[in-house]
Amino acid sequence: MQPNTAPLAETGHTTLLTARDITKTFDRTRALQGANFELREGEVHGLLGANGAGKSTLSKVISGHYTLDSGELTYRGHEIRLRSTRDALRIGIAIVMQETSLVPDLTVLENIFLPELGRPGRLDYSELRRRGQEILNDLGQGDSLPFDWEVRRLSSAQKQLVEIAKALGVRAKLLIFDEPTASLSPGEAERLFDIMARLRSSGHGLVFVSHRLEEVFAITDRVTVMREGRTVMNAHPTATLSQAELIRAMVGAELGAIYERGESHHVAETDAPVALEVRNLASAPAVRDVSFSVRKGEILGIGGLVGAGRSETVEAIFGLRPRTGGEVTLGGKKLRADSPQTAIRAGLGFVAEDRRTQNIVPDLSVKENLLLAHLGAHRGFFCSYASREKKVKELLAKLGMPEDRVADASMLNFSGGMQQKIIIARWLLLEPDVLILDEPTKGVDIGTRASIYAMLRDIAAEGVALVVVSSDFEELLGLSDRVVVISDGRTIADLPSAMLDEESLTLLAAPRTSMVRNTEMLNGLAREHGGSGFWALIEGERLICLNAVVSNPALDPGFRAGQARELGATQIPEALRRREPIFVPEADRSRTTLVVPMTSPRGHDLGWVGLSLPADRPLPAPDTIKSRIDTMAATL
Amino acid sequence: MANTETLNRRAPASPLKQFAQRLEVRMLLLALLIAVCLSFLSPFFLTKSNIFNLLDQSVVIGIVAVGMTFVILTGGIDLSVGSVAGLTGIILGLSLQHVPIVPAIGIAVVAGGFIGLISGTLITVFGLAPFVVTLGVMAIGRSLAYIFSGQTAISNIPEAMQNIVYTDVLGIPSNVLFLIALYAAAWGYLTYTKGGRTIYAVGSNKEAARAAGLNTTFYSILPYVLSGAFAAVAITFSISQLLSADPLMGNQMELDAIAAVVIGGASLYGGRGSMIGTLIGVFIMVMIRNGLNLMGVSPFWQGTAIGTIIILALLVERLVSSRISR
Ligand SMILES: Nc1ncnc2c1ncn2[C@@H]1O[C@H](COP(=O)(O)OP(=O)(O)OP(=O)(O)O)[C@@H](O)[C@H]1O
Ligand SMILES: [Mg+2]
Repeated sequence: MQPNTAPLAETGHTTLLTARDITKTFDRTRALQGANFELREGEVHGLLGANGAGKSTLSKVISGHYTLDSGELTYRGHEIRLRSTRDALRIGIAIVMQETSLVPDLTVLENIFLPELGRPGRLDYSELRRRGQEILNDLGQGDSLPFDWEVRRLSSAQKQLVEIAKALGVRAKLLIFDEPTASLSPGEAERLFDIMARLRSSGHGLVFVSHRLEEVFAITDRVTVMREGRTVMNAHPTATLSQAELIRAMVGAELGAIYERGESHHVAETDAPVALEVRNLASAPAVRDVSFSVRKGEILGIGGLVGAGRSETVEAIFGLRPRTGGEVTLGGKKLRADSPQTAIRAGLGFVAEDRRTQNIVPDLSVKENLLLAHLGAHRGFFCSYASREKKVKELLAKLGMPEDRVADASMLNFSGGMQQKIIIARWLLLEPDVLILDEPTKGVDIGTRASIYAMLRDIAAEGVALVVVSSDFEELLGLSDRVVVISDGRTIADLPSAMLDEESLTLLAAPRTSMVRNTEMLNGLAREHGGSGFWALIEGERLICLNAVVSNPALDPGFRAGQARELGATQIPEALRRREPIFVPEADRSRTTLVVPMTSPRGHDLGWVGLSLPADRPLPAPDTIKSRIDTMAATL
Repeated sequence: MANTETLNRRAPASPLKQFAQRLEVRMLLLALLIAVCLSFLSPFFLTKSNIFNLLDQSVVIGIVAVGMTFVILTGGIDLSVGSVAGLTGIILGLSLQHVPIVPAIGIAVVAGGFIGLISGTLITVFGLAPFVVTLGVMAIGRSLAYIFSGQTAISNIPEAMQNIVYTDVLGIPSNVLFLIALYAAAWGYLTYTKGGRTIYAVGSNKEAARAAGLNTTFYSILPYVLSGAFAAVAITFSISQLLSADPLMGNQMELDAIAAVVIGGASLYGGRGSMIGTLIGVFIMVMIRNGLNLMGVSPFWQGTAIGTIIILALLVERLVSSRISR
């Protein structure tokens, strides 16, 4: 084979990289024990497996972070030996990792061309800028990166884009994405897929690691599944796979529906006492005005985009972050904001978002990590670990962890999923009244995720109130009884999850800018014609209002932003049911309403926009209003 | 519910290997090795009187190293111990002119603790770097020691002070006994109490410790307070022996203390270290100094020798430990 010169054969595909029988051992952990992998040009290849299966290790072997113990790597037909990431980059292999390798104090441009900063000679900044712009244009992201900003100011999605641009800056041909979507909101993930699709069509080979199967089905061409360091499914075309087959390969066993509510779970009774109430909470700058409440035994989901202020909200409740306004009531008593200790002793538990930096104490043993919150809540001079002995045993049995592993000196040798279970158990040990979990399944494989869900449901059934923050909308809807949406530091909706689906949630969580534009338009329409306007999702007999502007109180549609209503319970049932491209008068003749669909330029359904006007005045032409709505939709 | 994860069972290491994997054990072996070498180099080294001499010399540096271990466990460093010792020594000397022995010692120890409180607060509450704060305190302390003493040694210390050091209990001098008791207490504190575990947690991951409800502010400051107070206790033993308080006392004591703690296996990033390790580190430091003296090495060369031995010891340890953990 002469891969360097041979043009892409019409039928076949040029193989970019093959890995054969790779082994890699750390300490006494055999991370890889015979891994095989094959990547072609112009494909997105999913690399799947449970936590600890060896996906990251294989990725790092391919990208030169680790040297392999045995086995063979072939790149474009030649056997290669990588001693460092530099070796890999030189031949065109790059990795985009979760923990970015960017320099926070340098600018975006400097980071993109970091490998060139080390070269002797003067740098031609205008030339770099031109090349940077070219790279971004190729990715279809021409104006989404401010070149002069320091990287520390960027969102995680933007940082990722810088990483990708950096790889392309050295003309990488093979890009590995290790769990790139874990901290992205759905919209941002979609944009990443867009970029990946462009890279694929320009002949790059992409490796995609993810625990979210719907993403795998959406973007990959073939998948390789690993289990316990071995390849168990080698380069299988995605199109011919079912989800169940994939899960079976990953887990090695059948797995029931993961969101299934067991018998024990009754939807939380609506008359259960309120466990936690948050009113007009503010914590500058990220949290402006958040209010919600959770009842005993209820699972409340908090949704929104990354950066909407969800983590900051829960941290402010727990006392990790100073509050600048509002109040929190726990079990009827006011909760002061001075420290986590106060919150814990009042019966609150909190699983913070970042396992490594906010939860794990690496130098303490697994057992002490498990007992850390006990130590925090405990009053007394000694540790009194023995007082929790029985409960620890019970929990370990529930987690499926052998008791002797508890004595392990470090938690870091455990997989992400097991680490997460131990952290959750740390709080369950205290039997809190309210447990807040921030992204409880980030980077956790599907099987462990199912067992975490089951665990959470069990404790809710025991009467604990749960608050779950998640960017995974499927999880949010599957797990929670009710969902509160936060956008730009404010609660904008509070709805039963049965009423929502992923699309409506995405629209509700939409960034503030699109909401501002929509409000401007509704305001304009309502004012000009002396009526009221709204933006809503309608499904069957139900409506979820995204935005409403009332300039004439007599024309109040009977719902406000963030509320859900039966169509019959609104003031304009007739118009909402018919949704015809004309003004539809209501039965009582008080008003007449135009309801038109709104569609994004890419053809996504964005719900319905309505305008109610007094029936006794001349009406504007429906078409002029429709065209204004379309113009606005084009900017979303 | 299916549990998908099989925790990888790792072959348990052999007991011997497990034993060798403990850093303290390897350092203890190193200490024995040094002792054997020195006994060959100097016939006087292993005599009874020299062993008592070694123990005696370990007391002052050993006491300072306790406070230093606490500080280093939280990820900090205390460069001021030497000059705090000098300053509190002068304070003790001056107090003895006016009050009885016990209150005078009390005053000195409280003064040391108070200086530590200031450093600890600046570091923890205001977020200043431990290195810089204690460097500043080091300069201030020494300068105040000169000013308070009027640049001369205070030599009219009551002879009764010597009882603190030279009273034998069961044939062991009281200062050595104090050192043993102090290490036992510190070990117990770090191992079995909430405060001790919090100090480890703070050094290992402060944010996680705080989120779990531990009082990280208090336990970040406490080690500096202890370090200052122990510096005063240590200098009390010196003064009792010499019956004189000199503003230069405790000079460079921080170097020996930090070296002992680090040789004992503590990580300067915090979270890792132990009292047993520190004690071994203290013995190694003292033995090397004693051995060099016995062999008549010039004091000017001793610094070079000690520095080289410390660096070599840590280098060998690093190479060996990465070999053993495979
Ligand atoms: N640097 C390391 N030192 C010791 N053990 C390691 C190291 N890196 C990985 N391991 C171990 O190797 C195994 C494979 O880990 P790896 O990170 O490759 O899994 P993964 O498939 O990426 O899992 P995840 O889905 O959780 O990211 C695990 O048991 C892990 O604990
Ligand atoms: Mg991984």
